[in-house]
Amino acid sequence: MKMLGSEAIIQTLLKQGVTTIFGYPGGANMPLYDALYDHSDKVRHILVRHEQGATHAAEGYARVTGKPGVCFATSGPGATNLVTGIADAMMDSIPMVCITGQVAAHLLGSDAFQETDVIGITTPITKWNYQVTKAEEIPMALAKAFIIAQHGRPGPVVIDITKNAQMEMFDYKYPENIEVPKFAKDPTINTEDIKKAAELINNAKKPYLLVGHGVLIAQAETAVQTLMEKADIPAAVTLHGLSAVPCNHPLYVGMLGMHGNLGPNVLTNQADVLIAVGMRFDDRVTGRLSHYAPQAKIIHIDIDASELHKNVKAHIAIQADAKTTLDALIPHIKKQKRYAWRKSFSLLKEKELHAEIKRAIKGDGLPTMKDVIETLSEETDGNAVIVADVGQNQMFSARYYCYKKPNSFITSGGLGTMGFSLPAAIGVQVASPDQEVFTIAGDGGIQMNIQELATVTQEKLPLKIIVMSNGFLGMVRQWQQLFFEKRYSSTPITGPDIVKVADAYGISANRVTHKKDLVSAIQKMRSHVGSYILEVKVEQEDNIFPMMPAGASVEEIRLEE
Amino acid sequence: MTYTINIATENKPGVLYRITGLLTKRKINIENLNAFETKKPGISQITITADIEPTAIDTLVKQMDKIVEIVNIKYHVAHR
Repeated sequence: MKMLGSEAIIQTLLKQGVTTIFGYPGGANMPLYDALYDHSDKVRHILVRHEQGATHAAEGYARVTGKPGVCFATSGPGATNLVTGIADAMMDSIPMVCITGQVAAHLLGSDAFQETDVIGITTPITKWNYQVTKAEEIPMALAKAFIIAQHGRPGPVVIDITKNAQMEMFDYKYPENIEVPKFAKDPTINTEDIKKAAELINNAKKPYLLVGHGVLIAQAETAVQTLMEKADIPAAVTLHGLSAVPCNHPLYVGMLGMHGNLGPNVLTNQADVLIAVGMRFDDRVTGRLSHYAPQAKIIHIDIDASELHKNVKAHIAIQADAKTTLDALIPHIKKQKRYAWRKSFSLLKEKELHAEIKRAIKGDGLPTMKDVIETLSEETDGNAVIVADVGQNQMFSARYYCYKKPNSFITSGGLGTMGFSLPAAIGVQVASPDQEVFTIAGDGGIQMNIQELATVTQEKLPLKIIVMSNGFLGMVRQWQQLFFEKRYSSTPITGPDIVKVADAYGISANRVTHKKDLVSAIQKMRSHVGSYILEVKVEQEDNIFPMMPAGASVEEIRLEE
Repeated sequence: MTYTINIATENKPGVLYRITGLLTKRKINIENLNAFETKKPGISQITITADIEPTAIDTLVKQMDKIVEIVNIKYHVAHR
């Protein structure tokens, strides 16, 4: 069928099942937007206020739907504004397809208006990218983009399409049965490895399960619980593994890593077998590598071969997705009980709680971030989706909300992108309009993409936003307090009057400054129909503990200053 | 340690940039690089020699192997 390149882009996206696009029009993608105009009944376009917002919204959308998030941006600044979100998606294994407009092919390399080398800029932060300069290339390039973004370890893909390619007429045909050789067949599991892994687990006295984001991606949550329950294995999660195991599961022991729980970190160095599933032994999890679990036999399951033996040498390394592997492993696992080993986790949990009570701030009644998150957790019964920003607010959200549903904690982990939470929550809310979704941000991060409040209003999203203001860039301030003699260099931060800002954007808002008002304020927020911002003025110099200082081992995690 | 990496890849624009980018990321300087299209149409052969930490080579090559266009990749200690 004869059609314009721009129409072919839309037709190919429709074939891929795309129903939502986050984007921003400009000179080099105007033909694409013109084609989109005729399909508003099938595709919802969310106009963001900055292209970075489009990428994070697409990430949020992808996290809850499992489908690639799609972004449109124009050439030059439109494309460069995508960079942070693309890098974020690359680090956090999020499928995303970004379609950028580009100057006409005959102008490439001439420093034309709004020309940038988008392929050059995005190569190190994409799984794949491709520049289309002729309309005929569009169907194949886009079909491949969707395969690559989703298969194996998911990630972002950029397709840069010159303006002439969007405007050319050509004979369109959707490429059926295309194959990307790299992903043509799933990795095969070696049965011997499965048997050896089962033997290690069956003979272990202190086996310990480390659950990562790969479990959520592969939808292996049930398999993980089956393994835990059958062999009585305690399980801890990474930051991105949060919500893969329900917080109220008796074998769930908490979070790993720099600001994780005491037991999960310390007991890493007492376990005799570590079963790491869909996680990559990030430096925030391992602390000092040379002192990480030297006593343990390690079983590492990951879809990405380059993650195996990268940071931690595995005794058994299995390259496959979490669900396939666990399904193969579970029949070989013997039922048993490990009371003593479980007890060691509960003892350390008590110790951590004791330290927490000791540290609890008594004073003028300002709520702490812990108060805010715990109250929200109780009020929502752990059933909301929490989209946290980066910093102390993120770690309090990770630690003090009791997540009960898979994919209910979303944040920027690998890249640690401040400003992530508001646009990402927009994507989550668009994908699941009936779900209760909360943005949790600090007074630093909220100001990094505050313009997206206009998107919330224009799209009539019922998003609930909690801003915990402490007048500091809190995480950096905490480090300055502990390791730089309280020299608070450029961490005190002022912000606008959030309630007035909300009003200006047409969003209802409230402010809380006393602990006693927290419950009623959260209840009022939840019962409000439509978007709502709650600013909570929190304790200014509160710290998140436990904490593993830089260069410390998992055993050296601190409970207090 | 000096290693030689032999790569067979689809002959597409940007593949060499993706490969060398992984070296740049680790501040590895290339000592020798050779790229040409083989007799098999559409397939190129790229050979790179560089000084690489023995602890990094395996992961580095596996990271290169994730490049969509790469068909085959091997490495060995360079013959001096």
